[in-house]
Amino acid sequence: MDIPYTVHARPDTGLYNAKIGIWLFLASEVMLFGGLFSAYIFLRVGADYPWPVHDLDVTLGFVNTVVLIASSVTVVMAWACLKMRKFGWYRINMAITVLCAAVFMINKTLEYKAKFAHYAVKLTDGTLLTGHLPHGYQIKFDGVTELSLSVPVKKSAVSADPVGYVLPFIEGDAPKFKTEDGQEITLDQATFASLAASAVEKAKAANKGSASIKLVAATPVKFAAKPSEIFGYTDTTITFRDGTTATGKLVDDKMTLEVDGVDARGVAQSEKSLAFDHRYLGEAWQKAFVSNRDHHISKFEKDYPTRDKSKSATLQKEALFFKLHSATPPAEGEAHGEKHGAEAHAPAEHGGGHGEAHHPTVVLEKKDITFFSNFTPKLNTYYAIYFTLTGLHGAHVVVGALVLLYFLVFDDKRLKKDPEHLANRVEVGGLFWHFVDLVWIFLFPLLYLL
Amino acid sequence: MSAAATTHDHAHDHAHDDHAHGHHQQNFVWKYIFSTDHKTIGMQYGLTGLIFLLFGFFLMLLMRWSIAYPGVPVPAIETIRALPAIGDLFEAMFGRWLNADGSLNGELYNMLGAMHGTIMVFFGIVPLGFAAFGNFVMPLQIGTIDMAFPRLNMMSYWFFFISCVLMMYSFFVGTGPVQTGWTMYSPLASTANIGVTSVWNHGHTWWLTAMVFNISASLLGSVNFIATIINLRTKGMTWMKMPFFCWAMFVTAFLLLLAFPPLEVAAILQLSDRVFGSSFYLPTGLMEGGKHLDISGGGSPLLYQHLFWFLAHPEVYVLILPAFAILTDIIPCNARRPLWGYKSMVYSVLTLGFLSFLVWAHHMYLTGMGTMMSTYFQITTVLISVPSVILLTCMMISLWGGSIRFNTQMLFASAFLPMFGIGGLTGLPLAFAFIDLALHDTYYVIGHFHYVVAPGTIFALFAGVYHWFPKITGRFMNDKLGKWHFWPSLVGMNLVFAPMFIQGMAGFHRRWYDGGKYFENTSGFTNWSTTLTHKIGAFFGFDIPDNMLSLNIVMSIGAFILALGQVPFIINFWFSIKGGKKTTSDNPWDATTMEWATPTPPPHGNFLFDPVAHRGPYEYSVPGHGTDFYPQWESEPGKPETNPAADKVLAHH
Amino acid sequence: MADNIEAIQKSVKKYIAIGALLIFFSGLTVALSYIELPTHGLNILVGMILATIKAALVALIFMHLNHERSTIYKILAFTAVFAIVLFVLFVLSHDDPLTFSGFYSPVDR
Repeated sequence: MDIPYTVHARPDTGLYNAKIGIWLFLASEVMLFGGLFSAYIFLRVGADYPWPVHDLDVTLGFVNTVVLIASSVTVVMAWACLKMRKFGWYRINMAITVLCAAVFMINKTLEYKAKFAHYAVKLTDGTLLTGHLPHGYQIKFDGVTELSLSVPVKKSAVSADPVGYVLPFIEGDAPKFKTEDGQEITLDQATFASLAASAVEKAKAANKGSASIKLVAATPVKFAAKPSEIFGYTDTTITFRDGTTATGKLVDDKMTLEVDGVDARGVAQSEKSLAFDHRYLGEAWQKAFVSNRDHHISKFEKDYPTRDKSKSATLQKEALFFKLHSATPPAEGEAHGEKHGAEAHAPAEHGGGHGEAHHPTVVLEKKDITFFSNFTPKLNTYYAIYFTLTGLHGAHVVVGALVLLYFLVFDDKRLKKDPEHLANRVEVGGLFWHFVDLVWIFLFPLLYLL
Repeated sequence: MSAAATTHDHAHDHAHDDHAHGHHQQNFVWKYIFSTDHKTIGMQYGLTGLIFLLFGFFLMLLMRWSIAYPGVPVPAIETIRALPAIGDLFEAMFGRWLNADGSLNGELYNMLGAMHGTIMVFFGIVPLGFAAFGNFVMPLQIGTIDMAFPRLNMMSYWFFFISCVLMMYSFFVGTGPVQTGWTMYSPLASTANIGVTSVWNHGHTWWLTAMVFNISASLLGSVNFIATIINLRTKGMTWMKMPFFCWAMFVTAFLLLLAFPPLEVAAILQLSDRVFGSSFYLPTGLMEGGKHLDISGGGSPLLYQHLFWFLAHPEVYVLILPAFAILTDIIPCNARRPLWGYKSMVYSVLTLGFLSFLVWAHHMYLTGMGTMMSTYFQITTVLISVPSVILLTCMMISLWGGSIRFNTQMLFASAFLPMFGIGGLTGLPLAFAFIDLALHDTYYVIGHFHYVVAPGTIFALFAGVYHWFPKITGRFMNDKLGKWHFWPSLVGMNLVFAPMFIQGMAGFHRRWYDGGKYFENTSGFTNWSTTLTHKIGAFFGFDIPDNMLSLNIVMSIGAFILALGQVPFIINFWFSIKGGKKTTSDNPWDATTMEWATPTPPPHGNFLFDPVAHRGPYEYSVPGHGTDFYPQWESEPGKPETNPAADKVLAHH
Repeated sequence: MADNIEAIQKSVKKYIAIGALLIFFSGLTVALSYIELPTHGLNILVGMILATIKAALVALIFMHLNHERSTIYKILAFTAVFAIVLFVLFVLSHDDPLTFSGFYSPVDR
């Protein structure tokens, strides 16, 4: 008793089951990516910042395009070879397809990795600085003597934090603290939990709404935490995200940034950007910026005399998004070597280690920073949709390649016994693979080029 | 199989043996847990769906308590807490959020509301209506041996199961389950409880993950349904000889296939907003608690609503079409009349399916998306009522002149018609933007869609259970208990949902956890319904005030009656499996569609002969025919098909 | 479906040619994206037309949609309609041609 039409087509519909199945699945996938693309359009139309164009590595993107097209050809060739019963060529073609998928994913990994190490910092006047954080960015407190937190007696949704959230931010070994009862303890996860439990018991007995724990350090301790891990701080206190407050002294909240780009498109008078303040990049870079800007504007006026300068996004980008290629400002006249911003983020691959000579370093004060992020979905809606689209597409590449690999490696029995059935399976797997290629055909121009 | 062997003639036994030879003995795990048989999967879906229906109903009872008696401790709360095991479970899921005196607060109410919606829609009705009945009945009705992709079918159930586990797990995590309604509107849903330090402590994260699995499950299911209907129809089963049940399932499957992916997108983007800090749905400059959030902004909450409602409107038809599907089998069978207007119903359901993709933004009139969009969606929304009315009217006309058997399933089926009618007609005013602006988010809307889904779809699902129970188990469900189930349910449903229209037009908002207590001054006016409530209360010696709030008490009493009404059903369901009256034939209702041609219960492989569809599916009371039904599979009047399928099946090898 | 061997043998060359054409079109898309057309919208239009041609080639030749069964066409036709609805109506809710107002003022990007 077998399901009919698994190998041969049903006469009146002309289709075997799996083919209907895969096309239905692809229809569903069209709607999935359709939803994502419509989100892309929606976000782009409504964007309130200059939409990044040519910001990604176009060369890498183009290589990936070629790789995917090649794999699309080989997978359909594999199917054709199987139909003609040329088993050797079938295997070769399948292997190339899977290999192409691997190359694609390696390229993707390189691209993602560079993005994670690259940062953008938004200053209060709207200037965006891009660059690297050689030492990371942490808020540092020293001489912390007091630690206090309140534990609500009644559970509520907003107080669902794990006990001892602050422990990882203490620098050095498990510190010694004194409780209110004068008990000496070593602060770790277990003691923290028992402290909280006994405090809640006490508060319940006293009919209070919340229990509080106060700890005094035996010797002053140091804290260091990322901004995302804290709720807020002043010169003397720091409050972590779980509500724990530590009293001590603020040591450092400055951000050291190796600047590789100044984006002044968000500033009304670009040459007066905060980035050229004497504390930061200073006058020499300002001059370089202005000469680069004026060069591009005059070039645009010469090339397109009839066009409105303010409406050209490309000109805005070339003139106002200034790339820094050396540690010191270039001398007059050699500032505008590059015509296009295509290789904009190529320096990102250097990482922190040996890039010291390439870019100027500025130390940004906390009060001048409104927002910062690495080039991840957090940075803006463009990178959010970029990671979502390419991430989902990458997941499809991996799944498709695994399926094809399965046919190649583990389906030998079917190859010998029932090649027609295997040909159907390869065709179905191939259809999925072509669809993955088809999505990339739209992704590449939309994200990399336009 | 053993049940079948005892009740059926020798030919059946013989065939069973034949068929057992071809298969190695399946052990319990492979036969009942990881089964690829569409009937077992249907039953798995059915049982899971029924359990979730009951659970979702329980959540609603807690909510109704808070609405009718705000600030009053939940009855018997201390007893519940003291129960072994159940008490601990209750404490971990709900009890820990209760006020100190045991009454509900807004926080818990919001959790209950959100989870009631989610569970009823995605874990109760869709699995029961589409996956359970569709899986069990549809392959039998088109005369095939199984689904086109049995292993995908199994995976579909297990994906669904994982999503159930994850969704239930969200009750136990730090923040409890979601509190933002089943719609999960951003930016609230993107930022609610975001201060909690661990992502895995958020109910939201689990909700979204569970939904991704749930969506994958329905995707696999719908691919399977469509491929099966297109390619595995048996000989003679042309499209226009196919029972309407299969047509409705076909359209439902398409709705699931094409409408769910945008929801998956919505869920993925929201997950990204929560976990990676992106701003898909967060506008620039969003503040919360007087502080700018640490986000880039640039997104739009409108995007979420578009993506969400692009699914969620077709989802409404995913809820209602299986109900129509079930009724089109039950009504002709018990009225002993052909289905009136079969062709017009088929074309209506196709139109309905198509149009349902073009009406979604009528849920969004209040977002300020612009008058042109509103105008467009008003037009399509009014258009879609035409095919719905055709479907309902055809079923009503099918009753005309019939000799109706009022067994339990027919009672539920005939109650469905007016109940769905009320639900549909009260929806018409909501189609118009200017009325919707006033009624949006009031109890009027709640009343409207609950009339469609609760006494509508759920009644149809009950009818389906009573109808196919003899085919599944070989035993009838008790008719007397069935009537004890039906009448309290009908009364309870109407007591719960009818007053909602009155309250809604008085402006009661759907998210008042205290039922409007703090708005007593604005809702204190009276009308005939509140006066009636007052007088009836006085007659029984209760002091129910003569104002809108008293309707809360009416509704909660209705909910209680409804709860009591389900007790006979639960008893009936479990006892009938082993103790119900045995069926004496494979076709106890004298029905015409092909599922009744199989042995009872249908074995693996379903049919003992190669079924051929000789005629349309609703040949009841055919003039000149000996009996009042003329089954699809009979080649000549009264002659049973006897040629065993076993040797025919070999031809496939 | 080209099920006979000769037809498949012939189509092998076609697959390679189409592959080359696709790579050529990709190069063309990259090149054209650096040319400053009067508005960036035109750049997008040209790029999308090229992408659509490429997608059509993949769908028609590689995915054999040039000779498929009517069932598949019907499924895809409905999908296409709904996908277009998804694109168009979302964007229309951004600004409103009837009242010339909207969430965001239209900006030339």
